Amino acid sequence: MTDRDDVIRETHETSVAAAFEGDLPIGTRKPSAIRRLSGRYLPAVVAFVTVILLWEGLTRAFEVKTFILPKPSEIMASFVETSSTIWGVGLNTFIEAAGGFVIGVTLAVATSLAAARWVGFREGMLPLAIALNATPIAALAPIFNNWFGLTNPFSKMGVVAVVVYFPVMINTTRGLLEVDPAEIELMRSIAATETELMRRVRIPNALPYFFASLKVATALSLIAAIIAEYFGGPQDVLGQYIVNRAQLFQFPDAWAAILVASIIGVTFYVVILVFERIFMPWHVSLRKVE
Amino acid sequence: MRLSKWRSHMLLFAVLALVVASCGGDEGVTTPDCDEVDEVRLQLQWFAQSQFAGYYVAHDNGFYEDQCLDVTILEGAVEIVPQQVLATGGAEFGLAWVPKALVSRDAGAEIVNIAQVFERSGTLEVSWADSGITEPADWAGKKVGNWGFGNEFELTAAINRFNVADVELIGQDFSMAALLNREIDAAEAMIYNEYAQVLEAVNPETNELYQPSDLNVIDFNDVGTAMLQDAVWVSAAWIAEAGNEDIAERFLTASFQGWIHCLDNFDECVDVVLNNGSTLGQSHQEWQLNEILGLIFPASNGIGVMNVALWDQTVDVATSEIAELQGKEISADAYRTDLAEAAIANLGDMDTDGSGYSRRDIELREAGE
Repeated sequence: MTDRDDVIRETHETSVAAAFEGDLPIGTRKPSAIRRLSGRYLPAVVAFVTVILLWEGLTRAFEVKTFILPKPSEIMASFVETSSTIWGVGLNTFIEAAGGFVIGVTLAVATSLAAARWVGFREGMLPLAIALNATPIAALAPIFNNWFGLTNPFSKMGVVAVVVYFPVMINTTRGLLEVDPAEIELMRSIAATETELMRRVRIPNALPYFFASLKVATALSLIAAIIAEYFGGPQDVLGQYIVNRAQLFQFPDAWAAILVASIIGVTFYVVILVFERIFMPWHVSLRKVE
Repeated sequence: MRLSKWRSHMLLFAVLALVVASCGGDEGVTTPDCDEVDEVRLQLQWFAQSQFAGYYVAHDNGFYEDQCLDVTILEGAVEIVPQQVLATGGAEFGLAWVPKALVSRDAGAEIVNIAQVFERSGTLEVSWADSGITEPADWAGKKVGNWGFGNEFELTAAINRFNVADVELIGQDFSMAALLNREIDAAEAMIYNEYAQVLEAVNPETNELYQPSDLNVIDFNDVGTAMLQDAVWVSAAWIAEAGNEDIAERFLTASFQGWIHCLDNFDECVDVVLNNGSTLGQSHQEWQLNEILGLIFPASNGIGVMNVALWDQTVDVATSEIAELQGKEISADAYRTDLAEAAIANLGDMDTDGSGYSRRDIELREAGE
């Protein structure tokens, strides 16, 4: 038994690695840690700082009115001043986004596994999934508010789940199905069952696709939650806060809240990265760039 | 003998004809000679409905044309903020509530109130009769709905003023579904719009329309935190340009004429609104026009001319209860009355006070048909 397991694991890992391995020339010196880090992050930092400075400078020089485009300094001032409010509403929105994310991803994984296993299910489900994907959030939100209740957070989570479902499902299904034929042949040659094929070949193969789709889903979940909130519900959420501030011309406040939304989105993304590293340490994309 | 009798009859007839021609119609309005026609845009604050009947009537009945104006009426929507449209030059005239406009002014939008058309506030907080909510103190611990977007100030001012604790503020959409589903305990409603939407819904228990007796209503005019609502605003920069004050005066003349026309031509005005594509149907627009005219008329100084005591009350509530305006000075040039007064003068002996106006009974039909 163990030998068979080892054979399968080694074959799989070798074939993946072989596809991407490149050998470094002998004698290549690795640069120091600081140089490596700054090489990686410095361009981004420089670009970011330049944009902020330009923004501040140009809005000052042209005396742009605050309600057209606020200065970064005004936004930061508001960010600090309203921090307890915006982080509070940000958390409420994140709960909706995360809840919908979990629901959507769970459904997506379940249907992907079924779709990979049974052709009939796949053929039947795909058109429905595509139709669901085409439904705009603006149409779903009021309907879900009506079905689940305006004050029920699940009405927003439902919208998030629908939005997140399709990208995760389609990518995971692809990952489960697009397996190297050689591996499938090997499995069949040692009389592996469908379940073993799924567990040992398809699922590991699908993990990169799955995590890639999760990264997309983090941003989508936050956007969907915020937009769904526009259509009514408790007012201590980002969507309502941003729109209300904007309508009252309090744009520094609105931008500060948008900044909170971005920070939450990036953090969510990083969390997925961490999970990716835990579950897929062997994958080539996680090897450091030399 | 016969000839002089015939002559005297003709004379009598001629005099009578003149008298009939000059009263009851929209004669006596000063209209300029149209050497050139000015194109202007009016930004409404909501979709086409009786709330804007005066402007639609002025457009369709040619009153704007008589004043040498080619007016394009821009419908509003949830996301359209008239003060912003004005401030960015998207329209010459915009309708907005005073508190929202004051907050916009404070944030840098330079707009001026040239005509205070609505003298009374139409905002209500509506609950079911069995909820026991009859005054602001009863909102404690309850789910109280409002629309946000600056429409909530009268409500939040009342909550502050009466120190009502533990109010859970819920954002409503612009239907009354949340109240009808009993998801919220109190809902914000305009007496001329959303309140009627409840009365146009069928009560599943009786299979008939809901009745006013099924509802408790808190009127912000009674509570004391009502603030002035629909007014005509212009950009300060635009009105300062040469010739635009004259355009504004002519615009107000025709607009006021439209509203006054509706005092005596109610059904015609409802038809004009329906013809301009109102979403809700006839009985709803009748209800709305009935209530709107009651917010405008009687007008203490004539339609559109600011009642200073009411302005002061609005500023008082706004600067004490609205977070963005607390402790701020509202400058006196936020509004002007000269243009509205000149417009009234142009209207000759038309009924600019509407002092005889009283609401009629309107029968609502399901879904406002």
